[in-house]
Amino acid sequence: MKKIVVKNLTKHFVLADRSRIDVVGGLSFDVEDGEFLSILGPSGCGKSTLLSILAGLETLSGGEISIDDKRLVPGENGVRLGFVFQQPRLLSWRSVRDNIKLPLEHGTLTREEQVNRAQRYLELARLQGFENYFPLQISGGMQQRAAIARALTIEPEVLLMDEPFSSLDELTARKMRAELIRIWQETKKTIIFVTHDISEAVYLSNRLLVVTERPARVYETVSIEVGYPRDYDDDRLFEITKKVGRLFLQMEAAHAT
Amino acid sequence: MHTILKIYSIAVLVAVWVVLSLLFSADIVPGPIPVFEAIADNLRSGDGWFHLYKTVSRVLLGLLIAMFLGSGLGLCMGLSVKGEKFFESWVMVGLTIPAVVYAIICLLWFGLNDFAAVIAIGVTAFPAVAINMWQGVKDIDMQLIAMGKAFQLPTRDLIRKIVLPQTVPYVLAATRYALGISWKIATTVELIGMSNGVGYMLHYWFGLFSMTQVFAWTLTFVIVLLFIEYALINPFEKRATAWRAVVQV
Repeated sequence: MKKIVVKNLTKHFVLADRSRIDVVGGLSFDVEDGEFLSILGPSGCGKSTLLSILAGLETLSGGEISIDDKRLVPGENGVRLGFVFQQPRLLSWRSVRDNIKLPLEHGTLTREEQVNRAQRYLELARLQGFENYFPLQISGGMQQRAAIARALTIEPEVLLMDEPFSSLDELTARKMRAELIRIWQETKKTIIFVTHDISEAVYLSNRLLVVTERPARVYETVSIEVGYPRDYDDDRLFEITKKVGRLFLQMEAAHAT
Repeated sequence: MHTILKIYSIAVLVAVWVVLSLLFSADIVPGPIPVFEAIADNLRSGDGWFHLYKTVSRVLLGLLIAMFLGSGLGLCMGLSVKGEKFFESWVMVGLTIPAVVYAIICLLWFGLNDFAAVIAIGVTAFPAVAINMWQGVKDIDMQLIAMGKAFQLPTRDLIRKIVLPQTVPYVLAATRYALGISWKIATTVELIGMSNGVGYMLHYWFGLFSMTQVFAWTLTFVIVLLFIEYALINPFEKRATAWRAVVQV
């Protein structure tokens, strides 16, 4: 079943001097329900803009997005979306628990249900014992885990992730990726994961889209039929990583000519 | 550690005062003992409390007006570029005009009464509040607001839970600054046009060349301001910024 269908999406910004920047130039793809899809592209290619549009933070210039066969209207999307940013974006004056609880507070849950729900995802993100800590008292990796817990606590149907591990050291990032896969398999969410790290995208996803430089278009789709949990040293993953690396070089050569 | 340093700094200040009072005659620098005796006398008579009450109530009412107007204008300037461009020159003009001019204008317009005093204090202090709030709103982290929007927080929650907590340090700075200005302009207004209050008493004792009483009244008010700082503003600041204190260990 198709969860999200993006058809011929375009986005441009008009700058103060009236010049126009085309950020997304006719992007089409779809995402299956429960799929882990990575969008892989060079830095500054409009990947983050795509997520902002999906989350209703930006309007689209052209094309169409539908989620659950319903056309996306910015700001009033019926589907629950969780968003994990590149930086944790926690409120430093709130405890870890209250940060995770934040998106629940305007919903229909009672106070007790909110706390219980926050606690459940806090534990899923392995933050038990740190409920009452402030964000500045815990490590960057833990802050990012809290941000992931915050996105999961609303039990989103779709989880959008914008290079969530790029600011972490590789060792922490590896642990976090394994945790993310564990959580994904436990919760069966649909995940759209944006990154510029090839081996990260290959390790994590069912399928990845290689996206061109600005204005972003889909250059190639790569399926990764390797079961979970995966091993970093798996030769099959390594072969796919090499193949995607070659795709990138081809894409750049094509762009240069 | 910090408390000891504070006590030490006050002790040094008093010591300097004692030394100066020994070097000069009591007409020029009266010592701490006669000054504190004068303070006690003033307060025992009941009259002292009345003048103190007059000034404190004017200062607080004026401060309230300044915070209200200043926050409104500061928010407007911080949130909208048009507002910023439009009001920027107003605030600069407001800051440039000497406080005593506001005092004179208000007394001439509204007469020699409390209303004139409170308005003069409010108008003098509000540009400083506006500037602090303006800066505070401009420093708000837009990424956090985008986060709130991504999680579909209603506007009310965005303001209450994400915007306002970020402005707390600026509100505190504005309050401190405005309190200092308010007290200075209050004394000026009372000195020019009032028949009660600390400023009036300073004027009165100035006429009688009593340096001891001038010192006594000044010190009385300094103590009141320190009380407001340490009993009200400081504890609030500690509570509001508790998350920051733990990092500074």
